[in-house]
Parts: sequence; C-alpha cells; structure tokens
Amino acid sequence: MPAPPDLERLYDEHAQALFAFLLNFTRDENDTRDVLQEIFTRLAREPDLLRGARDERAFLIRLTHNAAIDFMRRRGTRQKYHDQFAEAEISIFAADENPDVAAFRESLSRALAELPEDQRAAVHLKLWENHTFEQIATALNISHNTAASRYRYGIDKMRERLRPIYEEIK
Amino acid sequence: MKPDDFEKRLQNQPLRQIPTEWRAEILQSAASSPHPSRTMRRSVLSTINHQLSAVLWFNPKAWAGLAAIWVVIFALQFKSQNNSPMVAAASAPRPSTILMSLKDQQQTLAELMGNNQPNDADQTHRAAPKPHSERRRETVLI
Repeated sequence: MPAPPDLERLYDEHAQALFAFLLNFTRDENDTRDVLQEIFTRLAREPDLLRGARDERAFLIRLTHNAAIDFMRRRGTRQKYHDQFAEAEISIFAADENPDVAAFRESLSRALAELPEDQRAAVHLKLWENHTFEQIATALNISHNTAASRYRYGIDKMRERLRPIYEEIK
Repeated sequence: MKPDDFEKRLQNQPLRQIPTEWRAEILQSAASSPHPSRTMRRSVLSTINHQLSAVLWFNPKAWAGLAAIWVVIFALQFKSQNNSPMVAAASAPRPSTILMSLKDQQQTLAELMGNNQPNDADQTHRAAPKPHSERRRETVLI
C-alpha cells in the first residue's frame, strides 16, 4: 500500500531535521529510528494532526521532543549505563577527511552529549535549526526566558569544554 | 543576540544525514498502520465521548447523583400512584355516616339560630339613622 502523498512530502521536508534532533537527543541510531517511525505512523493514523499548525516544522519538533521523552522514559533506567557509554561513541556530525576537522566534530559531539538533555535540545534548535528563542520555547513547551537561559548555559559549557581545541584550530 | 565566532563555527558543522534506506521503510511501515476508516469509526465514537465529556466536564459525579435522585423520585411516584386508590377507598367514610354528620350539623345550626335571635333591648339602642336635617335640629334644641 503506497504511503499517503502528504506523508512523503512531510518526510522529505522534515525527516532530516527530526533525525538530527533525535540523534542528538537519544544518542542512539536505533532509538532515533524507532521514534521517527513512531512519529510518521502517528501522522499516518491521524491525518488531521497537523491541521491548524501554523509552523509545521515547529509542530513536528515539539511532537518529536515529546515522543523522545516518552521513549526514554519507557526505556527506563535499565540501559542507563549502556546509554552513557554509547553517548560518548556516537557522532551527530558528518564525517570529514581532514583529521583536525574530524577531531573538532568528535569533541563537539562529546561536549553536546555531556550537556543535560534540556540544554542540549535548546542548543541544537538554536544552532542547527536556526530557531528563535520564541520558537524554541514553543517547541519545548517552556518560557522564552527559560529557552534563552538553557541555551546560554549550554553554549557556555561547550565553550569552556572546547576552548583548547577551538583555540588550536582557529 | 548575534552569534559570536564560536557559535558561528558550531553552526557551520554539518550534521549527519539520515540514512536513505529509512525513507522507504518508515513510509511503508507508517502506511501499513491501521486503516484510516477504522480510525474514523473509532474517532466517531471518541467524538461522541468527547462531546459528552464536554457537557459533563465539570463534575460527572454530580450528574450521576442527579440521575440517581431522579430515579428515586420516579420510583416513589410510581409506588404512590399504585397505592393511592386503595388509600382513598380505605379512608373514605360511608354515605350513612356522612348523612348522620350532616343532620347533626343542621341541628346544631338550628339551635344556634334559635338562641341568637336579637332581643328588643338591643333594638332600642340601635336607633335607625335619622336624616341629617333632623340631627341638626336636635343639636340646636340642646
């Protein structure tokens, strides 16, 4: 049975962004796939879900964020230590042949993994989705000030964490 | 707030691409999820449920209590309707008794009428009203 055309459009327009956001959140490719599958299955079952959404991307990010939180809760603490190990291994950035660039991206990915989930989500949406704090607040269901402070705390920690390697390659 | 060099540098790092094979798998799996018509049928029921919930949202227990009170009221009314002819028949006096009491009442009334006839002394005190002209004449004579 072919997928509804709207579903294909939604996938083509938003799946990459949702994938990156989820991978940064779950730090696991299988979990990312499961949550993404869950999102599109829900969209297929509830065609009216997006009706009335002013900003499709923001709505889908919010849906994805909530689904990811639910998924992590369902998964529970059983795999907590495994996840912590895996977080350090996975990279959310594209590979690069230049060793300096590759090293920086690896460090950046690790620094992101060390951030609390809420700060990580704010940093991700600000830097790689170009969201305003207002959009971040809407997507994460938090206040504008909370969105700004989470981003600021996150970026300061990363600056501190990456200072040596950043100074080196600057 | 303008991003500084560090933030710009981070922004320029390209993110990993979603595996291409996921597209077909995810879309196929999503499309093979329960058919929309089944969802629609369920959604009609859920819509009714939603509408009812909207009406009774403030306190379903209160509505249940009210319904129970109405049931009790109807039950009591039904019971009283069944009993009322019997109660009326049992409490109604016999015709002969009614006649007897009527006669008693008439007799009592007749006695009262006989005793309370006005006497002459009272009649003298209650003089018939005179014309105004005569009253004035009396006043002048005094």
